[in-house]
Amino acid sequence: MSAIDDLTRELRRLPGIGTKTALRLAFHMVKGPKEDIHRLAGALAQVAERIHPCPRCGNYCSAEVCSVCRDPSRDRSVICVVEEAYEVGAIERTGRYGGLFHVLGGRLSPLDGVGPGQLDIDGLLERVSDPEEKPKEVILATNASVEGEATAVYLETLLRPHGLRITRLARGIPVGSDLEYVDGTTIAEALAGRREVGDGSA
Amino acid sequence: MRELELRHFRNLGVQELHFPPEGVAVIGDNAQGKTNLLEAIYYLESFRSFRGAADGELTAFSEDVFYLKGSVEGDRPATVSAGFDRKRRKKKVSVDGTDAQRMSSALGRLGAVVFSPSDVELVSGGPSARRRFLDILLSLNREGYVEALVGYRKALAQRNAALKANAGAAAVGAWDQGLVGHGARVTHMRHEWATTWSGAFSAYCTAISGCDSVAMKYRPDLGAGGGEPRAGEEAFGDDEGLVQERFRARLAENWETDVRRGVTTVGPHRDELLLTITSRARSLQVRTFGSGGQRRTAALALRLAEAATIRRERGTEPILLLDDAFAELDEGRSRQVMELLRDEGTGQVVLTAPKESDARLRGPSLERWRIHQGVIEA
Repeated sequence: MSAIDDLTRELRRLPGIGTKTALRLAFHMVKGPKEDIHRLAGALAQVAERIHPCPRCGNYCSAEVCSVCRDPSRDRSVICVVEEAYEVGAIERTGRYGGLFHVLGGRLSPLDGVGPGQLDIDGLLERVSDPEEKPKEVILATNASVEGEATAVYLETLLRPHGLRITRLARGIPVGSDLEYVDGTTIAEALAGRREVGDGSA
Repeated sequence: MRELELRHFRNLGVQELHFPPEGVAVIGDNAQGKTNLLEAIYYLESFRSFRGAADGELTAFSEDVFYLKGSVEGDRPATVSAGFDRKRRKKKVSVDGTDAQRMSSALGRLGAVVFSPSDVELVSGGPSARRRFLDILLSLNREGYVEALVGYRKALAQRNAALKANAGAAAVGAWDQGLVGHGARVTHMRHEWATTWSGAFSAYCTAISGCDSVAMKYRPDLGAGGGEPRAGEEAFGDDEGLVQERFRARLAENWETDVRRGVTTVGPHRDELLLTITSRARSLQVRTFGSGGQRRTAALALRLAEAATIRRERGTEPILLLDDAFAELDEGRSRQVMELLRDEGTGQVVLTAPKESDARLRGPSLERWRIHQGVIEA
């Protein structure tokens, strides 16, 4: 039984998984075909051995450099800064962004012990001053939370002297939603960030 | 309030109550659960105990979960329910059968005000008691206030943590935008409320006591110490943009103090709702210089202003929850208060009293309920 106990204990350490779920998963695996377990173990081993953060942007990859950084068709003059690597996927899925990324690995939250030193900010600063990359624009795509905003403000103060364009993702009404169900703060933001129609930029 | 379903809230067990439209007087000895009943009703308004108890304390001893459901009629009928699971520390709130995604969207559906003997602490307590009064009042009645307050508190806590960690000017300053943006909103909305209701507040005080007038004024602290408002400080709460500007300037001025103390020393978390009496051309704080009677009067006037706010903001008559209120007032004053409430137009009244004679004075025509060991008999 101790092998099952070990497995249960490991599973329980995963986010969102409690004792009962861990037990159910463990017994599900034991009951099922052995190949399934080997395949899962293989996949886990692959991740452990081959996946690592891209040395340039911090996105996860198995190659030396990630597929975005490697892709010669990407626009190297723009860097989009996100908090977590999974947010790269969210932006990539839009199909509307052709620039590069930079993953901070979190956001400022001194209450949780996360200061600038815990984020990959030095890497970002190196990139903007790197004569080879020399981006013209940095998009601050941190979340629209108090912490995400503070992180954006902090980055802005550091990036300002580099003389590039610094932008922030717009905030406003979610697509397909009714105005009457949108909260007041968001509507206020959308009003403040309103734009001219019919000038061809929309 | 038309119906109230109670399940394991404090000592009230499992009961279903049907309220008469004009209200009810609940009579019972002390420690039988009179205040618990009012606490349950007000919980459906604010989703917290008006006595400041944690949710876990509200669950009956032998149970893990309490559940409340109440329906109100009138211009804005609604059915609000709230449940709390002590073991899982989970709170669930729903309005008209739909779970509220955010607690803030379900706040203030009843339109109720509690008058309690402990209200005197609003006046005699420190500035935080009066800020808390404003925070609850505005959260329930003004759109956007909760969001601003929550944002401000978050930014403040983070900035303080950054200061404690000696994070340096840029990493501390990163929180200033959120701090100033949300903070100015909080200050502005509190200031606006105090300005709107200061006249009514003074009039209530005069009407209750028959004489001495008490003034109410919001004083955005933003660094100014001492008891009395300084000249030129009145104006800047009016304009949110101006408050932001001032807030930013004060943060800059106090930078070194903040670093030394490891804490943010300016902002709405230090503001004060000043209640003052004038004596020989000097304005003195009721908190320190007022008599017991003046403090109780001022506290009642704050609650009356709260009721009037509900009337104006929501267009409904407030439900008055009178918890053995006015027990410490003499007969003349408590009659004055009841008259004031009637003049202003009162909705339902739920009052509690230990004796029939107290109930007679405050709600002569109300139906009587008895309460004994948590069990209510209509």
